Amino acid sequence: MIDFLPLVLFALVCIFLLFGFPVAFTLAGVSIIFAFITSFFGVFDLFLLETLPNRIFGVMTNSTLIAVPLFIFMGVLLEKSKVAEELLLKMSYFFSGFRGGLGLSVIFVGALLAASTGIVGATVIAMGLISLPAFLKQGYPHDLSTGLISATGTLGQIIPPSIALVILGDVLSSAYQQSQLSQGIFTAKTISVGDLFLAAIVPGLMLLCFYAIYFLFKSRNLELISNDEQRSIKAIDLIKVIAPPFLLIITVLGSIIFGIASPTEASGLGALGAILIAMLNNKLNFQTLSETVKQSAAITSMVFIILIGASVFSLVFRGLGGEELIEQIFNSIPGGLFGSMVLVMVLIFLLGFILDFIEISFVIVPIVGPVLMAMGADPIWLGIMIAINLQTSFLTPPFGFALFYLRGVAPESIKTISLYKGVIPFIGIQLGLLVLLAIFPSIVSFLPNYL
Amino acid sequence: MLKKITKTIENILNLFPSFFGKISSWLILLMIFLSSMIVILRYVFEIGVVAMQELLVYSHGMLFLFYAALALKDDAHVRVDIFYRELSVKRKRMINILGNLFFLQPFAWVILIFSFEYVYFSWSINEISPEPGGLPFVYLFKTSLIIFPILLIFQSFSELTKLIFNYD
Repeated sequence: MIDFLPLVLFALVCIFLLFGFPVAFTLAGVSIIFAFITSFFGVFDLFLLETLPNRIFGVMTNSTLIAVPLFIFMGVLLEKSKVAEELLLKMSYFFSGFRGGLGLSVIFVGALLAASTGIVGATVIAMGLISLPAFLKQGYPHDLSTGLISATGTLGQIIPPSIALVILGDVLSSAYQQSQLSQGIFTAKTISVGDLFLAAIVPGLMLLCFYAIYFLFKSRNLELISNDEQRSIKAIDLIKVIAPPFLLIITVLGSIIFGIASPTEASGLGALGAILIAMLNNKLNFQTLSETVKQSAAITSMVFIILIGASVFSLVFRGLGGEELIEQIFNSIPGGLFGSMVLVMVLIFLLGFILDFIEISFVIVPIVGPVLMAMGADPIWLGIMIAINLQTSFLTPPFGFALFYLRGVAPESIKTISLYKGVIPFIGIQLGLLVLLAIFPSIVSFLPNYL
Repeated sequence: MLKKITKTIENILNLFPSFFGKISSWLILLMIFLSSMIVILRYVFEIGVVAMQELLVYSHGMLFLFYAALALKDDAHVRVDIFYRELSVKRKRMINILGNLFFLQPFAWVILIFSFEYVYFSWSINEISPEPGGLPFVYLFKTSLIIFPILLIFQSFSELTKLIFNYD
């Protein structure tokens, strides 16, 4: 019974999270109470809590994660300075001329927004408010339009430079070192956030292509209502809106890929670039700036306090012998790495219904990551699989985050059921890609290996 | 009358957390400046600046630690809200009171108590950066580990006062 205490702790955390008190404090609070109770019975050593300050100090001095607030600032400012809105509007005017064109414009802008803001909720809401009415006006079916918007809206998770990949990269790299140490390898190989960014490019582009093909296929026979008020828009105007965010992403990604700057430095340049873009658009005033500062600080603090809460949890989890337990469980699963990987993927998919990317990266990955890597999983491949898996989870009815966001802004005339029906083909595409990556891991690894 | 007193208590309690939070949020601009400067200095002038890098790290750490309490006030800490959002106001209030008492308070107190010796030791040796050319203020930065839980405790009491007395 005592052996299973770590799992009891995990179950309790999940149950109490559902009550809805902030995640960071629930994680930490349940773990601390559990630690006190078990120490009373002599199962947990309270002295372990003395390592807590050092762990928090580790979070405070983690230099990889400094990229997180800077990318958050970049995304929030681009959103507040209406760059995203302008882009969506102009693109939809331009592309509404031919069949399926609107869909392509949403995919393109979605990818661009995903890369520049990386904030899932914001992208889905912006597209739901601006593109969805355009789709409906042209007579696209409800389910096809909402499905596409939810799917492209969640791309922010995996298209680099995304905050999610920065966090995942940091967690995976320490998990990787830990797994090598436990195998007695002291000259540990490392992976970086840059590697993960590189690895995400091809799968991300593949998803975009699959979405586009599916959309064009579905809309090939549609009778579209042409706009009476032909709002013609010159190509030069279009370039003017696309160029700034596009250049920003090329600069940020390029400087990381070609080794000019670390992800942290690139994120600083990205934030500076976002300030310049806002200035060029005459959108930078004190009010916008102070709102952006406030909102970025709130999101940043939220993320890092979860990390602190998660480190309290993992401290107690390990103190109770959780690591050995997980190893035992994985070793007793038939099918070796394949079997364990399937189990982890299903678990993460289900947890994705209630937990965010941040919590899963901070809580689950440090527990299962080292064991899977010790069994032979490539850390970067594992990271991309987790990222795409989570993106799929966020799309899946009835709990997917993206669906909630879209429901919030979609007109009443669209039934919730067509929202659900719309995402199913896209979930199929995502799962297809996961299977493809499982069979051909080189899709992920060739770019980081090549450069 | 009681309402007036409790409202005043609530506001006095969140005075410090709001102050620290508002100031610390602007550190993001310093971070943008520092991280861009570090790249430029390295490529254009070929100099690396350890002190600037450490200041960047300090700004980041203080930003998220000192904003945490204000984020609590603004309800910016993410919740798992699949059930929570459907609950009645009364139920939500109950969950928040219990959460503050049994999760948030123990968490903050544990950090405060266990960090005390850690920070005290750092002060007693005037701990400086291990890097040559680094900042000599590690003990000041480590003091954030004490300030952070204190701010949270103040804000949590302020929230409790609001939840118990000043709800409408």
